[in-house]
Amino acid sequence: MFLQLVANGLVTGSVYAIAAVGVSLVYGILRLVNFAYGDMMAFGALIAYGVDGPLHQSMIVAALAGMAATAALALALDVVLWKPLRARRAGFMSLFLASIGLALVLRQALLLAAGSQPRSYRVNPYRVFVLGSVRLSEQQLIAVAAAAATIVAVGLFLTLTTVGRVLRAMADDRALAAVAGIDVGRATRVAWLISGLLAGLAGVLAALVEYSFDPNFGFQLLLPVFAAVVLGGIGSAYGALAGGLALGVAQEVSTWSGFAGGVNPVYKPVVAFAVLAVALMIRPQGFFGQARVG
Amino acid sequence: MSILSSGSFWAFVGVVAGIYTILALGLQVQFGFAGLLNFGQVAFMAIGAYTMAILVVKEGWSTWLAAPLAVVAAAAGGLFLGLFSLRLRADYFAIVTIAFSEIVRYVATNETSLTGGSQGTIALGPIGTASQYNGQWSRFEGRVQHAFGFSSSDATMLAIVWTVAVVLLALTWLAMRTPWGRVLRAIRDDEDAAASLGKNTFAYKLQALALGAALAGIAGLFYAWEFSFFSPDDFQPLLTFFAWMILLLGGLGRVWAVPVGATVFGFIFAGTRFLNFAPFTWFASDQRAYLRLIIVGLIILLLVLVRPQGLLGNKREMVLE
Amino acid sequence: MTPLLDVQDVVRTFGAVRAVDGASFAVEERSITGLIGPNGAGKSTLFATIAGSLKPDSGRIVFAGARIDGRAAYRVARAGVVRTYQAARVLTRMTVLDNLLLASTGHPGERLTGVLLRPRAASAHERRTLERAHEMLALVRLEAHTHEYAGTLSGGQRKLLDLARVLMLEPSLVLFDEPMAGVSPALRVELLEHILAVRRDRKITFLIVEHDLDFVMQAADRVVVMNEGRVIVVGTPEEARTNEEVVDAYLGKAH
Repeated sequence: MFLQLVANGLVTGSVYAIAAVGVSLVYGILRLVNFAYGDMMAFGALIAYGVDGPLHQSMIVAALAGMAATAALALALDVVLWKPLRARRAGFMSLFLASIGLALVLRQALLLAAGSQPRSYRVNPYRVFVLGSVRLSEQQLIAVAAAAATIVAVGLFLTLTTVGRVLRAMADDRALAAVAGIDVGRATRVAWLISGLLAGLAGVLAALVEYSFDPNFGFQLLLPVFAAVVLGGIGSAYGALAGGLALGVAQEVSTWSGFAGGVNPVYKPVVAFAVLAVALMIRPQGFFGQARVG
Repeated sequence: MSILSSGSFWAFVGVVAGIYTILALGLQVQFGFAGLLNFGQVAFMAIGAYTMAILVVKEGWSTWLAAPLAVVAAAAGGLFLGLFSLRLRADYFAIVTIAFSEIVRYVATNETSLTGGSQGTIALGPIGTASQYNGQWSRFEGRVQHAFGFSSSDATMLAIVWTVAVVLLALTWLAMRTPWGRVLRAIRDDEDAAASLGKNTFAYKLQALALGAALAGIAGLFYAWEFSFFSPDDFQPLLTFFAWMILLLGGLGRVWAVPVGATVFGFIFAGTRFLNFAPFTWFASDQRAYLRLIIVGLIILLLVLVRPQGLLGNKREMVLE
Repeated sequence: MTPLLDVQDVVRTFGAVRAVDGASFAVEERSITGLIGPNGAGKSTLFATIAGSLKPDSGRIVFAGARIDGRAAYRVARAGVVRTYQAARVLTRMTVLDNLLLASTGHPGERLTGVLLRPRAASAHERRTLERAHEMLALVRLEAHTHEYAGTLSGGQRKLLDLARVLMLEPSLVLFDEPMAGVSPALRVELLEHILAVRRDRKITFLIVEHDLDFVMQAADRVVVMNEGRVIVVGTPEEARTNEEVVDAYLGKAH
């Protein structure tokens, strides 16, 4: 039972991790805590549904379409919203409030366009794989595999490519990066592109794992994702990864009966916040983040 | 269009605007004067409403004892949140406050024996009975209506809510003119500089958070009395965002901008229910609800983009950064 | 005589960087002590540590016989150690007068309980503070700007406002962070005169971090020279000027 919970936690945690990396990357470049990220995930999941359901394409094609569409949305929003705000030198509060306004617009637009009824991809939820004492559904395995592949890909991108190194340098010290002659505009677009791709992927995977979803589901995932981001030290991509996995496992394992009888599963989201609160009390700058000098 | 000419409809819009005024006034104290990014304001409203209803129904308290205690409970919630989160960076603080408000809502939804759970206050009492917490309040309202000769109970509620709102606005306005308020504004401007002048900035921020929470608690009481029933779904984060929009709409750092923002918001929000002309007629009524929230979101975006100090804000003192 | 401020073996690190690495020195009462050293010597970190905005990793800071290391910044300020900032941290979105009114200690009106329970004491205190504020404004000749927002003042005027505000607090020790940075030559002379006059009339001790060595040599009685987190020389300005280690630290060793 305990191993099963850990496995389930890794599945949830994989989805959190992908989304958390997407939030953290943009934060590192723009200092934006993107409240609309959950709704971008829902957007990706719904686009993929449109390709998977009515168009009868394979799930992989559908997922790729969802990712591409979400990335396009992210880039478009940068042009019409975030760029003007940057030009105005808007600080954290303006950006955060704008992302709340955007979240409202996005989610209601999705509801308007797609309705509030729950949907599912054309997958068989009853195919189960048994690994020792652990049983995982096909979708759960897909989520973990996709997350692992993505994590490796993002890791390679950040360490091996020039743009990736630029993104990391900017997250560490934006002023220095600007002085060093980095094309901030281009780096910003790359960050949005990757963040959008990850939002689309996280949305599709979350929809697969939860089996049925509606336009509201992105928002429900948002707070655990934020918790993962903060846990990992906001702006740190690797921290976000670790934070996501740790949080997913903590949520599931908290319901284990060997753990003081187990937490009532309805309180799983609260467990995420409790972990976050305790972590912040111990290390106010997050677990993988560094205390900034001065 | 008949409902638009009905006095009780407009009285309702006015009551809601008054409740939002009190809620957003709390945010003005916290953010407009002390610079605290509280995104969990709705939690204190919930704490106020639930504390009152639970004490009246379950413990049989008088409304007049339960109500002040509910406000104290909301303030205590603010103190509790502040004690462990005010030392955090502004962005972490904002996230933690949203998380706090969601925890409060989860607890209200799932602790059925305490709160009635997702069914709301109707399930507060023993199974099989529909619980009521506002008997005493209704009698009070009736006496006020009789004493002042108001035409309807809606008009009476309107008068009561706005009387309380105006008193609270005046008290806040006065408080901000004291040396205490001056220290708050100094902290909003530059916390380190205020500390180097010997001000215990943490204590001031804690006080601002708790006072703002108390105001939200009062808003929660009126919300409960106005609707005679509520459930955890009434305290979604959306309500906090409405309060933020009112704050932005009215203006930052000015007490009297709050009722203006709340009234404009009330008309936008209620008014958009009756968009009976194209292109709105292309949508079904449930779709128009989505449209209304899209409009709210667009207004927030527009304000942040073009008028970050709000309609009546004082640009030299407080701009959204 | 025991010194007013005694810094003993203070260490403060940031990760692997030892910004202050065992610094010790003392500041005598009513002296003007200059704290100098090349960039990155650890002066600003040491300043912030004395003022309480940073906690030292180890070491002791004793002020007027009591340890203040590890105390919160506002408590250090209340004990009588007031710091200024390199770019004068005036409250730009408040008026010049408000900036000064904030610099009062033990104001009952600044506490909610005082406002509610002792309104008379609060308004009496407010009147006294207002009088002193106008006095200070006259002293630094900023009366014409009383009701303007401090954000509209020039850099030099902000330094004067900062000085006036610090004096309002009647501190025993002023930690002055680069008072001359960004100040026009005309105002420099004035500022120096103010500092010397204040020391003479009000028994205030100054510890000054300053890059302008001419100013330090003119104003300071004693000079503390830091390099790479350590204090390398303590002496009169003349001793510091001719000390070989100091010259090396500033010019880099010629090997």
